[in-house]
Amino acid sequence: MSGPAAGVALIALTAAALPLITRDSYYLDVATTILMNLTLTMSFRLQISTGQINMAHISFMGIGAYASALLVTRAGLSFWATLWIGALVAASLAVPIGSIALRVSGPYYFLITFAFSEVVRLFFNNFFEGLFGGPSGLVGIPKPGRVLGLAFDSKLALYGLMAVMCVVVVLALVRLDYSRFGLTAGAIRQADLVAETLGVNVFRYKLTAFVLGSFVAGLAGVFFAHFRQVLHSSDFGLEPMVLLVVFTVIGGTGSVWGPAVGTILMTIASELLRELHHYEILVFGAVLILTMLFAPEGLVALPSAARRLLRRRRRQATAPAGAGLAP
Amino acid sequence: MTVMPGSIHGLIGPNGAGKSTVFNLITGVIPLTAGEIRYKRERISELRPSEICRRGIARTFQATALFREYTVLQNVLVGAHLLAAPGLVPALLWSRAYRERERRARERAHALLTSLGLGAVAGQVAGQLPHRDQKALALAMALATGAELVILDEPLAGLTDHEKAETTAVLRRLAEQSVTVLLVEHDMKAVMGVCDTVTVLDHGVRIAEGTPREIQTNAVVIEAYLGAEEPGA
Repeated sequence: MSGPAAGVALIALTAAALPLITRDSYYLDVATTILMNLTLTMSFRLQISTGQINMAHISFMGIGAYASALLVTRAGLSFWATLWIGALVAASLAVPIGSIALRVSGPYYFLITFAFSEVVRLFFNNFFEGLFGGPSGLVGIPKPGRVLGLAFDSKLALYGLMAVMCVVVVLALVRLDYSRFGLTAGAIRQADLVAETLGVNVFRYKLTAFVLGSFVAGLAGVFFAHFRQVLHSSDFGLEPMVLLVVFTVIGGTGSVWGPAVGTILMTIASELLRELHHYEILVFGAVLILTMLFAPEGLVALPSAARRLLRRRRRQATAPAGAGLAP
Repeated sequence: MTVMPGSIHGLIGPNGAGKSTVFNLITGVIPLTAGEIRYKRERISELRPSEICRRGIARTFQATALFREYTVLQNVLVGAHLLAAPGLVPALLWSRAYRERERRARERAHALLTSLGLGAVAGQVAGQLPHRDQKALALAMALATGAELVILDEPLAGLTDHEKAETTAVLRRLAEQSVTVLLVEHDMKAVMGVCDTVTVLDHGVRIAEGTPREIQTNAVVIEAYLGAEEPGA
């Protein structure tokens, strides 16, 4: 089995094995959150792979979530239809937003996407209160309806649904990362001008990653809405966005598996630090700084860094005594 | 300035003459504000660099520009982007046609690397290659696009005499294969030895154009180079 296939199989098997170990509602809730976060961080990393840190990624999750919640509660559509419609709404909005934001790069891109993220949050919070629920939030969102004889009214069923969605998303994104698309995206991140002069339409690649990432974020948002059954604009604000960055960067953005490692470890840490309330973000901030200082390639790169260190130590140990320059 | 198909055309001039700027204008890296550039009779002045590359023009940079984290083979595969005709859906579906196309792209990349003496380092990380190999890799990436005109910015800079001889031999071979070469180079001996035509720039103005022999004896050119070495010296 190839490396990528083995990685996807490991995630799928672990997800499938969990209900055999425990069906405790709390653990299923945490595991569902991990899978939801993993879907988000993997799609966020798709954009990072082309060199863009999109601070509005969480907003596209929010757009998918609110679109689905409203279409189900107001228009009476089925969750199974809005799952796709919500994601498509997020992707459709990503086209003009990405087209504007991607005209610039570096800190300007960061600021434009950050500004868009705040606009979206404030829009959900302050405008059309009767529709979006305002500061009190949008409540009364139903769980997914029955499909193919399956009911989704239990934690276990919702976990199963999220697990299937997550594995399909991971499979697709890993496949892309190991394809020519991933190769070209990485080239753009390293030297976009060189890639452009080699015939790569850099803007189109970046926009594709932006829109595709937003589609997946929208998909996660739709699930989030019907899983939590209540939406607040703050669910898609700066704090969850910072957490998304922390999860992805701590895991490592150089590898497609980095976000998986970061998300699993940090979501569990987040649960353990729940008692700290708002101080939790300070702890994550400190962890992010330490990672940047001591493991800039992320946790996923630590084993190979350790191997390199060991090899260097071994070489030094076996080098003949007295070798090297005299003082 | 006109570059004839299948020729090796040198662009020389003192420092600051605008040689690299001409390359940046031809390849769309900086926008043209006056005049026009035509390739095969088509006006290419307003095109993006990627579109210009699609027309058959590829380049290298003065400061060797590579994808330093990638292996040598991966660098060339990015260069082969246009010939591989990538697409999102075939990549996602991992179809037989997609895999076959990728297999052929790898074969072509290996053949190209072997022809440029890089076959043995195909798996090495580009950023760790010696200078000569990095220069050769930059050329390989440009050729991998399938370009009919390659624009080389100081391809011999920093090379030993032996390596320069190897590189000029490669340039001659390219011309034999009907690939047009336009190059900027400070090594006058090499320029005069390998080029069919030489254009001389000074302060952004073309002051002479002709065969190496004509350029070496051109009084205006010699004057422009006063204080520096005489062309062909």
